[in-house]
Amino acid sequence: MATRIFAAIDVGSFEVEMTIYEISGKNVLRQIDQLRHVIALGRDTYNTGKISYELVDEMCRVLGEFAKVMKSYQVDDYRAVATSAMREAGNSHIILDQIRVRTGIEVRIISNSEQRFLSYKAIAMKEAEFQKIIQKGTAIADVSFGSMQLSLFDKDSLVSTLNIRLGVLRLRGVLARVQADARTEQSLVEEMVENELYTFKKLYLKDREIKNLIGIGESILYLIRDSSGVRRGDRISAEDFLQFYNRLISMSLDQIEEAFSVNADYARLMVPSAVIYKQVLEMTGAEMLWIPGIRLCDGIAADYAESIKCLKFTHNFDDDILTASRNMSKRYRCNSGHIQQVEEHALQIFDAMKKYHGLGARERLLLRIAAVLHDCGKFISMRDSSQCAYHIIMSTEIIGLSHKERELIANVVRCNLENFDYNNDILTAKMTAMLRLANAMDRSHHKRLAGCRLTVKDRQLAIAAPAPENLALESLAIEGKADFFEEIFGIRPVLKQKRRF
Amino acid sequence: MAELDSRYTKPENYVNRELSWLDFDYRILEEARDKSLPLFERLKFLSITASNLDEFFMVRVASLKDMVHAGYSKPDIAGMNPEEQLKAISEKTHELVGLQYSTYSRSLVPALRQNGLRIIAAHEDLTEAEGAYVDQYFRENVYPVLTPMAVDSSRPFPLVHNKSLNIAALLQKKEGGDEVDFAMVRVPSVLPRIIEIPSEEGRAVILLEEVMERNIQSLFLNYDILAASPFRIMRNADLTIDEEEAEDLLKEIEKQLKKRQWGEAIRLEIQENADKRILKRLKKELNIHTDDIFAIGGPLDLTFLMKMYGLEGFDHLKAPKYVPQPNPAFLNDDDIFTNIRKGDILLHHPYESFDPVVDFIKKASKDPDVLAIKQTLYRVSGNSPIIAALAAAADNGKQVSVLVELKARFDEENNINWAKMLEKAGCHVIYGLVGLKTHSKITLVVRREEDGIRRYVHLGTGNYNDSTARQYTDCGLLTCHPQIGEDATAVFNMLSGYSEPLHWNHLVLAPIWLRKRFMRMIQRETNHAREGRAARIIAKVNSLCDRDIIAALYEASCAGVQIDLIVRGICCLKAGIPGLSEHITVRSIVGNFLEHSRIFYFENDGAPEIYMGSADWMPRNLDRRVEILFPILEDELKKKAMHILQVQLDDNLKAHVLQPDGTYEKIDRRGKAPVGAQDTFCREAEAAVREAEESADPVNTRVFVPVESDD
Repeated sequence: MATRIFAAIDVGSFEVEMTIYEISGKNVLRQIDQLRHVIALGRDTYNTGKISYELVDEMCRVLGEFAKVMKSYQVDDYRAVATSAMREAGNSHIILDQIRVRTGIEVRIISNSEQRFLSYKAIAMKEAEFQKIIQKGTAIADVSFGSMQLSLFDKDSLVSTLNIRLGVLRLRGVLARVQADARTEQSLVEEMVENELYTFKKLYLKDREIKNLIGIGESILYLIRDSSGVRRGDRISAEDFLQFYNRLISMSLDQIEEAFSVNADYARLMVPSAVIYKQVLEMTGAEMLWIPGIRLCDGIAADYAESIKCLKFTHNFDDDILTASRNMSKRYRCNSGHIQQVEEHALQIFDAMKKYHGLGARERLLLRIAAVLHDCGKFISMRDSSQCAYHIIMSTEIIGLSHKERELIANVVRCNLENFDYNNDILTAKMTAMLRLANAMDRSHHKRLAGCRLTVKDRQLAIAAPAPENLALESLAIEGKADFFEEIFGIRPVLKQKRRF
Repeated sequence: MAELDSRYTKPENYVNRELSWLDFDYRILEEARDKSLPLFERLKFLSITASNLDEFFMVRVASLKDMVHAGYSKPDIAGMNPEEQLKAISEKTHELVGLQYSTYSRSLVPALRQNGLRIIAAHEDLTEAEGAYVDQYFRENVYPVLTPMAVDSSRPFPLVHNKSLNIAALLQKKEGGDEVDFAMVRVPSVLPRIIEIPSEEGRAVILLEEVMERNIQSLFLNYDILAASPFRIMRNADLTIDEEEAEDLLKEIEKQLKKRQWGEAIRLEIQENADKRILKRLKKELNIHTDDIFAIGGPLDLTFLMKMYGLEGFDHLKAPKYVPQPNPAFLNDDDIFTNIRKGDILLHHPYESFDPVVDFIKKASKDPDVLAIKQTLYRVSGNSPIIAALAAAADNGKQVSVLVELKARFDEENNINWAKMLEKAGCHVIYGLVGLKTHSKITLVVRREEDGIRRYVHLGTGNYNDSTARQYTDCGLLTCHPQIGEDATAVFNMLSGYSEPLHWNHLVLAPIWLRKRFMRMIQRETNHAREGRAARIIAKVNSLCDRDIIAALYEASCAGVQIDLIVRGICCLKAGIPGLSEHITVRSIVGNFLEHSRIFYFENDGAPEIYMGSADWMPRNLDRRVEILFPILEDELKKKAMHILQVQLDDNLKAHVLQPDGTYEKIDRRGKAPVGAQDTFCREAEAAVREAEESADPVNTRVFVPVESDD
């Protein structure tokens, strides 16, 4: 049959959700069914650090039902992911095993940056609107139950992104411990949010001009449900939002339940959520708020559809990952000329060696990022730059990279200068060998090998220098890295210089 | 505004719902008294008034009694507390019963006799030959199943079953002693109540209890019978189940069912010439109040008239049987799914046949492309083809989810059996929702087709019951509109316990959204009228007794909205009161078919919206039940729905119009052509089939359509 049925499952902090999609060749994803069950996993995790047995039991029951529904739709494939509540739960691996045994569903815990990246893919599904909006300075605020993600787009590409532990459920949890009347409570939230956002503003926003704010995440969907007639997919001006906000904070819980037709659980989350959006609007000075009304499951489905080549984005997400890394390298004052050169060499090596390393497009991207970031440790310490680079990379979120991928890059960068630890896996070894060589090729930081040509012949990787220049430093450095390179690939890099006449 | 508001909700502007209900029973009784109707149809109407009254006592009177016992004295919307209501009800029901029996004995019995059917009222009237016949009948058929029960110091007063017909007798020992004993025997419900006896001229029938009374001596051989008289009691039967505590709803209802026959006695019917001592004894033993005793001048429990209607022969005294017609959309060789894909189909039962609905589920159960069938069942017929189809579907590997409402009044026992059977067949059965009755009528069929998943939905105003669908007027919509399909999926997800969907496209659900939606739509008309724009409301419901809705209608009327209501039964609204409801008309149609559909029309400033649904304008429908309101979206179907409303508004044969003084009057027809809505619909349905057949007939189209092979 021409169509495929796909199920996306999101084990979130407040809800377990399954959405069934129909994917029909021509870039069309149609939502067919959506099942949501409220289960506050986050409350357990954020308060006690693990998820209690009762909730695990309930979750397994619900996922078991999901499995049946999937069967009834005869789904072709599914992806199940778990986010912050499970990620942070100490007993998460036990729970995953429980789920696998009891329901047969394989749930994968995804990192925050992967999660956000999926959301962006979901937004990008709304092609036309998305492309138009990100032409101007745009911020995306993804407020979920556990945390929020702020990302900045500039001229069509993602420039930076930051996760702030400021989710509505988490805020609620903090507030539950203080006793205050509604008014103080709200100003308390405002202050907390403001503090967190201040740092972001200083570090990232500077004098960037933000025109648009894209609001995604669970809570905003409920905010637009009142009778004011705003629907998903709509744009709201900042003034309108402020008006709405003032109306909301003057309402009692009952009134909120009534106006938004939500239950008490959700109603309690409305004010913290509205506060966050209001503060973000104020901080960024955005004039317009766009609510595309997407959910994580949409992102999972979009990602899946892309992977089976049923969907093609106009927006290039690899570029986003690269831009984010470049910005990071800029922040740590890396020598941009050198970086660019190493990146170029790394790609040359990768492409020339294609037959011998057997790696794919994703690894090519990772190598590129490693090249971009290979120097960032010097910002902290010149002496111990490798260790510092490792720590910087490990503690900076790079949108679109899984935790594992980031770890790989950090290790490759560390091994660039340090001795290679053979406990690392083979992929790390291959990437390290290539990065080392690329770095050596611009040892002088003078781009002397710019435009060189690389060919593999007779178990040698010949690096043909373009111009008769003094390549003493490079030659020495390449020779120094050649043993390791040969050890990994069985091919020895050799610098070939045209004779001077 | 504020002062107006209070006027709209003042108790004096409302009618008590019980009294309004009794008015409805009066209207049915009026049909029984209408000499222009075929005689046997009149018997049927009289029987209906009796069975209606039984239910009224068991449920409404019973719950008022409970309130009085519990010391609850909150007034109703008309400002009457339970005690006052009971008093008013007692007065009015005594009157009603009086009228029932005068209709029976003064009008119907003589008319039947004229037409050759003699009802032998008392066994004393039998001729000798007839007497011999019934005595033999008694010995052979009745005697073996009787259980006479005498009461004395060693035998306590026996349990008298709810709604059962019994004969009470006073006995005296043959040898000596002045002691008078009480005895009782139940008229067996397993035997037919009407016994036809050979007669010299015409035909004759006698009631079972008369035959028993004649032979009562044979039950108490050592006694003299001083007096004997049939009596019947009604007990409190309203189920109040504490669901939160009930671990298993199913078990709880089974338990309650057994308890039902034990409820407090709330009505005693006894023949008016019964022996005073019998009455006194019963009154004491049953602990019943004088107001609740009905002295009956005729046979007890007139529901036997329904059986009388079924007597062979006499067809010339009955209305000709109407055969439901097929909807023209199905007059082709395509399967039901193809026909639905051609466009939404609006069914109007019983004028149009219910078969497509049964066919829909049957076809789905066998269709290899169908993935899932989901349905809510409230009341189903015995031996329901729908249940059989659902079970078969589960057998065929489809995912079948059924919500069986166990709390459907008086049908619990029936429903439990079906539910168990479906579960055995492999269906996923949900036994209702805690705290809510599921009254909505919706079926969803999910089908995986060439171009993707497609959902077919049936939405109705009446139950999935193929036998009542021949007597109730209902509407049903068959559609594969993707947005309605999406909503239908969400409905079943909610019924399965999942969260509400993020948004609804077209369906409106009670108890969460429906009330607000109705209020908004009424207020929208009010606002339009105030702004001088077109505004009108037409609503057809079975009952109207919700205070908020009525107040909103009063407000709309005062703003100048023309409001025409077609309310079959209870109507707590007062119509045509100057300064309150002068723009509101209320009519009630009582006909051969039971009016049951709910249709709502809102003018909406020239962009009319028509909705249908399962909910009446009653608090219980809007607040305590899962109900669905669905819009009619296609223009052609909107016209059809509007036509249904218009014909009912034009009815001047069967319509009773509510007067400002609270009475219902038939329309003065002088100078007008008679219009009977139900007759009109019957004729139109027949004509539509004829027309469709003619237009497809090549002789009429004058164009021959050659049949060729496909390639």
